Amino acid sequence: MGPALLDIVEERADHPDATVGVDRLRDRLLEASVVSVARVGVAKTTVAEVAKLAGCSRATAYRVFSGKHGLLAAAASRELTSFEVRLGRRLDRAPTLEEALVIAVVESYRELAGHRALQFVLRNEPGVVLPFFGFHHTDEIYAAVGRFAVSRLSRFLEPTPAAWAGEWVARTVLSHLFHPGDDVRLGHQPDARRLVIHYLMPALMAADGTMSAPTSSSPNP
Amino acid sequence: MPALRASSAPRLRSFILLVMVEEPRTLLLGATAACISRYGIAKTTIENVARQAGLSRATVYRYFPGGREQVIGECITWEVGRFFVRLAEHVEDTGDFAARLEKALRFAHRAVAEHELLQKVLETEPERLLPQLTVSGPLVVAVVRDYLEPLLAEEDLRQGITAASAADWLARMVLSFIVGQGSWDLTDPASVHRLVNEHLLAGVLAPGRPPVETDVTQ
Repeated sequence: MGPALLDIVEERADHPDATVGVDRLRDRLLEASVVSVARVGVAKTTVAEVAKLAGCSRATAYRVFSGKHGLLAAAASRELTSFEVRLGRRLDRAPTLEEALVIAVVESYRELAGHRALQFVLRNEPGVVLPFFGFHHTDEIYAAVGRFAVSRLSRFLEPTPAAWAGEWVARTVLSHLFHPGDDVRLGHQPDARRLVIHYLMPALMAADGTMSAPTSSSPNP
Repeated sequence: MPALRASSAPRLRSFILLVMVEEPRTLLLGATAACISRYGIAKTTIENVARQAGLSRATVYRYFPGGREQVIGECITWEVGRFFVRLAEHVEDTGDFAARLEKALRFAHRAVAEHELLQKVLETEPERLLPQLTVSGPLVVAVVRDYLEPLLAEEDLRQGITAASAADWLARMVLSFIVGQGSWDLTDPASVHRLVNEHLLAGVLAPGRPPVETDVTQ
C-alpha cells in the first residue's frame, strides 16, 4: 500500500463509530468546496456557501475546519490522495512496465486537464495555483511523484530508474498541461505510448541493454 | 497580453529581433525592469516607468496602449527572450550535440540561480510573475524547438525518431529543467553528463557513438 492509503486507513481507525458522522460531514464539506471552486473559483468561494452546498450550518463548517484556507487546503489534499489511490490501483493491474508508464501519463494528464476546479483556477486565477508549480516547488512535486513511482513500479524497476520514470512522467505531463502542443496529445494513448517508448524506455535500460528489473541476481543500476 | 500561439512562433533570429527592437521601446522595457527591481511588480506604474526612462506618460502609452499590464507583460517576455539569447550565445561554438545540451543546462541553471531580479520576484510576488511566464511558455517551447531541430537533423538519430518530434520533447525537457532540477544536481558536471547522455538523449541519438570527452572544467 502506498503511504497515502495507509494514512486514510489510520485516520479511519482513529475515528470509531461514534464520530463516523463527523467523517461524512467532513467529506461532504470537502466535496462541496471542490464543486464551488469549479463553479466560481477560489476568491468567490465562501465557507458559508460551501456549508450550504454540504447541507450544514456555517457554524458547523467552522467547527470542522478552521476557515476557508484550512478547508481548501484539505480539499486539495483529498483530491490528490483520491487520485493517487485510483492511479495506484490501475498501475498495480498493469501487465507490463510499458503499460504502467502509458497509464501513468494518460491518467495523470486527463486527471489534471479534466479537473474542473483546477482548470477554473488555472484559467481565471492563475496567481492562486501557479506558485505551487513554480520553480522551487517543482522539485517537491518530482520528489513526491518519484517516491510514488518507486513504490508502484517496484515489481518492474529498481528504485533509481523508478524514481526517474516518475520524474519523467511528472515533467512531461506538467509541460503539456501548461504548454499544450499541436502534435502530441497526452490524453490520447497512442501519443503517450510513442513518448514512453521513444524517450523513456531507452533511459530505463541498464548499460548492458537489459531492463534494470529487480531480480535477486541483477546488479544495482 | 494576448496569448501567443505556438504555431505562430518566429524562428530564433526573429525572436532576437523582437527582443532587440529600437529605442525608445527597449528603453521603456529596460526602465520597467528597473522599476520592478526597485518597487516590485505590484507597485510598478506607468508613472514610475516614464520617470525612470526620462519620457512622458503619453509616450509610454503610445508604445504600450494596453498600459501597465502590457508594459509589464512585455517586459517579462523581453527578459525571457534575453535569457535565451544569452543561452544560445553561450553554447554557440560547441560541436557535439550532447556537449551543447550539457553546457546549456549548466549555464541555464546557474543563470537562473544568479538572476537577482527573478529570485527576488519569485520570493515576494510569484503570483504576479508566474502567470506571465506561463503565457509566454508555448512561444518559448517553440523557439527552443526551432533552435534544436536543425541541430538534431545533423545527428545520427535512433530508428523511428524524427528531428521534429525529438526537438519538441527535448525543448520541453530543457525548459522543465531550467525551472527545476528535480533529483539532479545541475551544478555538478558529472550529474549533468549522466542526465544528458544516459537519460535525455538515450532515446534520441543512435547507440554506438564514439565517446566524447566532456570538458567538465567549463
